[in-house]
Amino acid sequence: MFLVVFFLLPALIMVVASLRYPGEFGGLAPLVSTRPGEEAGLTLESYRVFFSDWVYFEIFAKSFGVAVLTTLVCLLMAYPVAALIARSPKRYRDMMVLLVVLPFASNFLVRVYAWMIMLGPFELLFSRFAVICGMVYVHLPFMILPLYTNLEKHDPALLDAAQDLGANAWQRFWRVTFPLSLPGVFSGSALVFIPVLGMFAIPEILGGKDDWIVGNMIKESFLGTRDWPFGSMLSLMLTLAVLAVAAAASWLAGRRMSRA
Amino acid sequence: MPRIFAALAATALALSTGAARAGPNDVLRMFNWNNYMTEEAVTRFEARCNCRLAQDYYSDNEEMLAKLAAGARGYDLLVPTGNAVEALIKSDQLRPLDKSKIPNLKNIKPQHLNPWFDPGNVYSVPYAYSLTIVGYNVERMRELGLPTDSLAVIFDPQYLRKVERKVTVLDSQRELFAAALKYLGYSANESGEAKLKQARDLILRAKPYWAAFNAASYFKELTVGNVWLAHGYSNDFFTAQQDARNAGRKFSIGFSIPKEGAVFALDNLVMHKSGKRPDLAYQFIDFWLEGRASAELTNAIGAGSPNQAAMPLIDPQIAANEAIFPGPEKFRQLEMLRDYDRRLRRTLSRLWVEIKVR
Repeated sequence: MFLVVFFLLPALIMVVASLRYPGEFGGLAPLVSTRPGEEAGLTLESYRVFFSDWVYFEIFAKSFGVAVLTTLVCLLMAYPVAALIARSPKRYRDMMVLLVVLPFASNFLVRVYAWMIMLGPFELLFSRFAVICGMVYVHLPFMILPLYTNLEKHDPALLDAAQDLGANAWQRFWRVTFPLSLPGVFSGSALVFIPVLGMFAIPEILGGKDDWIVGNMIKESFLGTRDWPFGSMLSLMLTLAVLAVAAAASWLAGRRMSRA
Repeated sequence: MPRIFAALAATALALSTGAARAGPNDVLRMFNWNNYMTEEAVTRFEARCNCRLAQDYYSDNEEMLAKLAAGARGYDLLVPTGNAVEALIKSDQLRPLDKSKIPNLKNIKPQHLNPWFDPGNVYSVPYAYSLTIVGYNVERMRELGLPTDSLAVIFDPQYLRKVERKVTVLDSQRELFAAALKYLGYSANESGEAKLKQARDLILRAKPYWAAFNAASYFKELTVGNVWLAHGYSNDFFTAQQDARNAGRKFSIGFSIPKEGAVFALDNLVMHKSGKRPDLAYQFIDFWLEGRASAELTNAIGAGSPNQAAMPLIDPQIAANEAIFPGPEKFRQLEMLRDYDRRLRRTLSRLWVEIKVR
């Protein structure tokens, strides 16, 4: 039921919107023509435009690149933090989790603007680097929390056992802790990867001239061009692409699990 | 078009004009740009009409149109830019104005009457205006020997080389294309695909030298000194100039209308059909056209005033600024943006995507 209301229904509205003509002043053209010569009804035009041009694929490819990079950096930064929290004495843990989510207490845009002030003097503003910084900064808690929830459940006895069997620190991590934490890694990665693709504010505020991603293009379709059908089509393509990635990831994960 | 200054300032204004003040039951509801009326004007008007002025805010025309399209009701007055007035007229959302209730209409300068989007001012009267021009760091431009009176400085690599990555242009399809088209000697509303492509090529050649497409914070970067040259709105440059002066920077900010021409955005008062108090709306329109409130707005944010009676009350330095009050010769080179039809919007957006990606 939840999925029907919050996923299926909006998706269907998007499908219908993407098949219509844009209205003259924004919105959608009517389904039935009211004036002679007016375009109305359903059309595949948005899709035709999209698939006849490489430039849109370029944006999708670039967006996935940004999302992958952000996810990797988040993972590398979040893992030690999550591990540290999970291994701290119990009475400190809640405090540390609270510190991780503390930035949410101030508005997201205010925090991104703060990055402008920090990066400005170093001539790093308006660059890909600035965009990745902002993306990582905003999404880091979404990686730390699932990792922490997972790592917290590990039985420390496993590591002792591994040590007794002669595993060094690296082997203990790579052969015991990491495989056990994979569910956390996957859910954290999904929570970072997907929102990054749809993000438009960070590239717009911190990005330079080449840092448009799909989110920006969708926003521009609705507000700049007032072309709702094209924007709906782009959103739909993004949803499909994300679903494809998610399916591929869970397939890979499934294979790995069954091997282990 | 005025830009968003600070969300905080807007909120503060909303609080003070809105819920915080318990006033009489008569309420005039206005849907206006952020930070587009001074507190003094609000207070004076409320005292005069013995009513309360409740403002809601938007930061661009599309947002306002979208909210009305989505069913926002009960606004007596809106302040749309010319092309949005046209959209509102075509979709039959406005009340025609009874001129006998607006005697102060005589104060409006003749050059701002009878605009293309509303011939005869049947539905609209001018409120304030802005220009899309070039702003710069005066000292840097002088050191580098760059011209400040031409769009060449943001499009010609010969000049751009000297200010590489110190230039921003507006993150707006229409505004940037308008500038490129003007530089090429065409109309800002050019609709031929070949000419639009020529403009795209010009933009792509200049792009490697720009720091960013930016419409939200360029004037702040200019004030701080991170950016030396920007394509943007006259109001914003005025703010940057004031801020740099007040902060005691070692440099100053200047702005001027390029000799190739510029985009002129006239915002207008119109009455929405869903408004419940046309009587108060007429009172406000006439109050605004008296001139004093308009002058205060100019003194505060550097918005252009279309009001003759406002001129004596405007700070003489601002009144003498050609980039806010252009003389007749410059005025002829200004052009208002007209809405593109949906086909042309798609063409332009396709070119825009290319600009953003390549």
